[in-house]
Amino acid sequence: MIVILALLLAADRPVIDLSGGRVQAYPLAMARPLGAQDTGVAVQSVLGQDFERSGLFKLLDPASFLAPPGEGLTGIDYSKWQAVGAQALVKMSCETAAAELKCDLRLYDVARGQELLHGTYSAPRPALRQLAHRFGDDVVHYFTQEPGVFQTRIAYVRETEQGKQIIAADWDGANAQPMTGASINLLPAWTPDGRLIAFTSFRDGAGAHIYTVDVATRQVRPLVLMGDFATGAVFAPDGLRFLFSASVDGNADVYVSEADGSAGRRLTDARGIDISATWSPDGKRVAFVSERAGTPQIYTMIADGSEVRRLTFQGNYNQEPAWSPKGDLIAFSGRDEHRVFDLYTVAVEGGKIARLTQNQGTNEKPTWSPNGRYLLFSSTRGGRRQLYVMQPDGSNQRAVTSEKLGASDPAWGPLPPK
Amino acid sequence: MTESIHKSVLTLEGRTGITPGVALAVLLHASVFGAALYLPLLFDRPTPLRKPIIAHMVALGKPRDPHLLPRKDTAPPAAAAAPVSRPSLKSAPAAPAVVKHEPTRRELMERALARAAGKAAPEAREEPDPERAGSPQGSPEGTAQTAEEGDAYFTAVHDAILENYVVPSVISERERLYLSATVLAYIGPSGQILKHEFQKKSGNHFFDEALDLAIQRSKLPPPPADLAASLRDSGVVLNFRP
Repeated sequence: MIVILALLLAADRPVIDLSGGRVQAYPLAMARPLGAQDTGVAVQSVLGQDFERSGLFKLLDPASFLAPPGEGLTGIDYSKWQAVGAQALVKMSCETAAAELKCDLRLYDVARGQELLHGTYSAPRPALRQLAHRFGDDVVHYFTQEPGVFQTRIAYVRETEQGKQIIAADWDGANAQPMTGASINLLPAWTPDGRLIAFTSFRDGAGAHIYTVDVATRQVRPLVLMGDFATGAVFAPDGLRFLFSASVDGNADVYVSEADGSAGRRLTDARGIDISATWSPDGKRVAFVSERAGTPQIYTMIADGSEVRRLTFQGNYNQEPAWSPKGDLIAFSGRDEHRVFDLYTVAVEGGKIARLTQNQGTNEKPTWSPNGRYLLFSSTRGGRRQLYVMQPDGSNQRAVTSEKLGASDPAWGPLPPK
Repeated sequence: MTESIHKSVLTLEGRTGITPGVALAVLLHASVFGAALYLPLLFDRPTPLRKPIIAHMVALGKPRDPHLLPRKDTAPPAAAAAPVSRPSLKSAPAAPAVVKHEPTRRELMERALARAAGKAAPEAREEPDPERAGSPQGSPEGTAQTAEEGDAYFTAVHDAILENYVVPSVISERERLYLSATVLAYIGPSGQILKHEFQKKSGNHFFDEALDLAIQRSKLPPPPADLAASLRDSGVVLNFRP
């Protein structure tokens, strides 16, 4: 009887649905390093930039810390870290030998007073940044159960006085290394194994064609030399084929080819240009830009060229599609009514468009991180075109490059092999 | 001498079945059900709200042409400076970008109430976004693009909790799709949360901890007289999704 009455009373309760809570960075404290100070501070600096740029963590101000600077890796007074608002704590102790450095890196849960991660990381001295990135990725993986991107590489085009060269760099813009000379080189794209970068180049003096460069040896080889121009190679997730655009009879169309450049086959044949093709993460579909309806819009099709479907209906100039690794969104740049290009995402199912950038210069060429958590893009917000990274909802926008004459055309490389 | 036989007054004559007892029990249960269902009507109690409708003020603006690309309500924060390409051995990690403080919904509401009461301190007028989506009849403090009806008190409860509702960024987007938790909260006459308990936890430690904090930090307005007793005794169910 009591149960029935309780149920009757419970049925009277009003119900409020709450969604759309603010996504907020997790407060993390990084204690003063123990051991070799120079090495510890340098590792901490790289790690701190990784954490902040990731948008996952909010680093607490060391000036507010209450724990004694010499507090060890064990016997931690968690109440002192809790009092400054920390929910996670990172501690480290580093040693340096002749050519090698070694760090004991640990992650703690402050609220529960538990050690969560503990590892000894070693690397040759010049690879200090990689050591920090490796621990950072382990921390990200612990919390999110997804791979981190701190060890990934990016490629982009560097403006020089002699032309445009292809650069490979760490995800944070550090360790930038030229892959090509400075003729006109554009649109880099990684192979899924990260060994080659395909790019479009005017190097042969007979129009634009597609080449590859070996990241380790810098050896350049031609990949597609067909037509008046061939441009914008993008490799399939399995690495066995690639898409590109080519103009053979004066009309640009989307083509697909074997990984070695053989057996090229045209996928589109509509009137007007069809360019900027990109793969879905399962390699079964393709997104591309077509002018077939009068203005450049984003379309999708099956990878054999069938079932073409228009995806964007807002705006009159949408270009540069990039399919998210999770498959649900396509990022693109679109020109708004003020004739400025900004970045948007469109839902593959339903076509809902969300705006990511606004009132900050021209923003173009989005490329996804391999875990789908970030977008890298170019922007003129600071004057010269540079690269910036943000989260797919447009939050946490941060500069990546500070090239003297500018940087453009970013392409995010694959996750490092396990 | 007559043999006297003592019998209990409750003893039924002869051999009887259990039918009368069952009938009595059914009758009693039916009475209780009937009382539970109809007594509230006799006392003219308003029908309780099962699913409050949450509404917000419509923003002042002009309806946007659906053929145009969408605009954001506010510009995103400025980007931080680019990092140096080599690690600095002495410097601390780069400071995050300075973000202009955007007024919260509560602050906007308080400003509007203060203005209505003639207590508003002179404040620097922010330049309104001329392209903001809304209605020509809307309010500068509005947050919704279209008008709907709603329950004023539950909208206030919703907004007060939402203001403190934080989803930790370390929860992956994929996991956020499936997270949900239900909390039963009891509200006192002055709006204080008397107690709260999880009816269903999400299973994610970070998410449940954040909900606990959100409820503890929320300052609710006093409930109206007709809801005060039920919110104090029966509570309100809060269904959370990220």
